[in-house]
Amino acid sequence: MKTFNIIAFLVFLAGGAAVLLLDTEATRSIQGKVMGIFAPFIHASSTMSTTTKDVMTPNVDPRELMRENERLRLEVQKLRITTQRHDDLLADNNKLRRLVAYKENAPFKNLIAARVMKRSAATWWNTMIIDKGENDGIQVDSPVITDVGLVGKVFRVAPQMAEVTLLTDETCQVAASVEGTRERGILSGQRAGLDARPDLRLRFLTRNAPIVTGASVYSTGDGRVFPPGVLLGKVKRFENSEISGEAVVETAVDFSIVEDVFVLPRRTEEGR
Amino acid sequence: MLFNAIVIILMVCAFVVEEFMPAIPIAQHARLFLAPVFFFSAAVAVPFPIMLILAFMSGFMWDARYLQVSPPDSIAEAVAGFGMSSTGAGYNVAMSGGMDLRFGMSILMFGIIGTIMQGIRPLFKRVRWELPVLMVGVVTAVWLTVQYLLLTFFRGEIFFQFDVLSKLITDTLLAMLAAPVIFLVLHMLAKVTNYEIKYEGLRSRLDGR
Repeated sequence: MKTFNIIAFLVFLAGGAAVLLLDTEATRSIQGKVMGIFAPFIHASSTMSTTTKDVMTPNVDPRELMRENERLRLEVQKLRITTQRHDDLLADNNKLRRLVAYKENAPFKNLIAARVMKRSAATWWNTMIIDKGENDGIQVDSPVITDVGLVGKVFRVAPQMAEVTLLTDETCQVAASVEGTRERGILSGQRAGLDARPDLRLRFLTRNAPIVTGASVYSTGDGRVFPPGVLLGKVKRFENSEISGEAVVETAVDFSIVEDVFVLPRRTEEGR
Repeated sequence: MLFNAIVIILMVCAFVVEEFMPAIPIAQHARLFLAPVFFFSAAVAVPFPIMLILAFMSGFMWDARYLQVSPPDSIAEAVAGFGMSSTGAGYNVAMSGGMDLRFGMSILMFGIIGTIMQGIRPLFKRVRWELPVLMVGVVTAVWLTVQYLLLTFFRGEIFFQFDVLSKLITDTLLAMLAAPVIFLVLHMLAKVTNYEIKYEGLRSRLDGR
């Protein structure tokens, strides 16, 4: 082997090791910058994809009407989310819990409406890119919802766009409770759950827990990431394992048709 | 020299084109990973130091653009949820979410794969692309499998379902479909720039002379 090759190999190893030793903050910063550099191409690919879709299904409505329709649709979705939150509070039988929940979790404020630009497929995980980013106040770990339920959370932010980890992803773990019971567990997707709507697993429930098929699963808000009371899905079936129970949950949101989402401001310690 | 410079530029362009690559929903969103496949193919045509530069570049850019880095906060929800879970059994599993694929792992993986691909350079020079195309498929499958195994190792719970296999096969086949086109482009580029592939000690084994 030539000396030059050996030197090149050693430099490569040193460079690789240096990159591996970067901390999360530095990594996030690099990823945000790279996403910012690629932003024009992501926009272009999104536009191209939308244009192709439009050509395939021609739209007869005038553009202005479409914009107006879009604005109203977003408004309706915003109102639906607020209404859903109010309904949840009214339906809560536990008075104390309701009062605490009301105090701590007032109806969502400062919702940031965003449009899904594209669905990005990497090797073993799928994500969504939305058209709002750091400039609009979005931060890493900001929860992303629709009027139907939880979509996921932001994991990469560029100035004009952000990438969202879907609820179906294994790394998106949500503290959740089952409607009508005191059962609480951790909801997450499965590895390589790459279908449009893969099932989720609600783990660490009590064995033989009285969970019925069709029961709604909500976020509890116990962590610092997701707000409480957001619909996650419905129980499909319940299974007992050796030490705990596990529910298979169908997501509330159909990720293949999501076009508009809302990003909630990241929860802070004070806001808990 | 000109050939190497153009290959490096093309590598960057591959990342741009990658953004436009559609996924196939019926095959678990499998798609052509153009940038890695371009690197695997180019590794056959360039000298060792340039291959290392390409491996560093492509690995770095791949992780910067596509790697899902789990920030410490991402497990906070689950860890906090532990305290409220019905059984409390979630603690260890939730905590294990802290270890995951690291930014930079692709650099090392691409470096190893590139070194393997260097071994078939004489075949590329002789325009015998059957084995190189097959090798691109093999290393693509190896890359994806290693990544999946690393995920399994870091996150725990071994399971391998049909969906994983389906995506793996489709991704590999797409890579093998693209490889001849990339080889053709590189071969034409080598001709235009009068670039000669040097064997560097591999002649007796693979050139048959």
